[in-house]
Amino acid sequence: MKGTLNLVGYGLSAIGPAIATGLIFAAYINGVARQPEARSVLQPIAFLGFALAEALALFGLVLAFVL
Amino acid sequence: MFVSAVPGPGFVPPSTNDFNLPPVFGNSAFTTKPILLVFLSVILISIFFIAAARKAAIVPGKLQFVGESVYAFVRKDLAEEIIGHGFLQFVPFLFTLFTFVLVNNIFGIIPFLQFPAMSHVAFPYVLAGFSYFIFHTIGIKKQGLGKYLKGIAFLPGVPKFAYILLTPIEIATYFLIRPVTLSLRLFANMFAGHLLLLVFIGGGNYMLHDNHLFMKILSPFSFGFGIAMTFFEFMVQCLQAYIITLLSALFIAGALVDEH
Amino acid sequence: MASNEEGALWSILGYLISGLLIWGGIGYGLDHWINPHHHWFLLTGCLLGMGASIYLVWLRFGRE
Repeated sequence: MKGTLNLVGYGLSAIGPAIATGLIFAAYINGVARQPEARSVLQPIAFLGFALAEALALFGLVLAFVL
Repeated sequence: MFVSAVPGPGFVPPSTNDFNLPPVFGNSAFTTKPILLVFLSVILISIFFIAAARKAAIVPGKLQFVGESVYAFVRKDLAEEIIGHGFLQFVPFLFTLFTFVLVNNIFGIIPFLQFPAMSHVAFPYVLAGFSYFIFHTIGIKKQGLGKYLKGIAFLPGVPKFAYILLTPIEIATYFLIRPVTLSLRLFANMFAGHLLLLVFIGGGNYMLHDNHLFMKILSPFSFGFGIAMTFFEFMVQCLQAYIITLLSALFIAGALVDEH
Repeated sequence: MASNEEGALWSILGYLISGLLIWGGIGYGLDHWINPHHHWFLLTGCLLGMGASIYLVWLRFGRE
């Protein structure tokens, strides 16, 4: 088998953002289920949290291919 | 341990080469399996919906009922809910997209066909290209070329110097990244799903023909996983057909409203 | 409403990817042009692009 270890490293580092995204949306769904009128307040926060967590995963992706 | 973790010399793990199939007949690049399957899907869809619509009655028969529920699903749940006002002119496109992708995906688990054409990236790119052309044309027609481009490139309420940073990103998102994300999701799911089935079925086959009795005993687990994954794949295939239609509808809806 | 959120999520992902690709790509090009043995411009470009796209996400989806 041939391949580069960069991708194994990327796979490991992607675990973190994956768990983070799961936690963010779990909390968001919980919040909206308990108080549906809070949706408009929670939505921007959830999206920003998603963007921040996803940014790290994409960093890993780019650096795994480039470096 | 008695089972080595290194694959034996005889086992060939499935790779991208398994997707480059030789021509079924003749020697041309146009008679490979994916292309024949695409033609077959077009023929099947046409026959099915012509048969479903020919004897249209007020009390629908079985065939008509199935045809109408697929149509109603695309029309009500996708087009009307997302696009809203003026949705009717996009229903034919969305309906064609949905049925075409759905049938081609399901070909991946039908015995003897067993190849999702969408696992070749060219097919999703063409579908995304159609969608891309439609939503940009709609946006330009609705808002005018200058206003449409200005709405994409310059976000209101931002300090002037930030435009240097933001405008390239906005333009790249709308014109380069959108068709790619639209098609890549479908492609990646079909590709990974087919590879997964190849791993389990091929691995089970190899274990069954191995000399060790232990491997022979374990091979049904691999086949069992292959069968379970086939059902899982069915779910993924329906979901991906839904998602590419949903995203096309969302992009069309985004081009229709002038929110900027 | 749910489909609305789905669309927003995919466009957030699109913004992040394109920010990274555009500014990271400019950094990569500068690295090749000036000094191919270091990756300083690439790293700067990636950070800049990611910052800009998170700012863009905040502008589009974060503010009330």
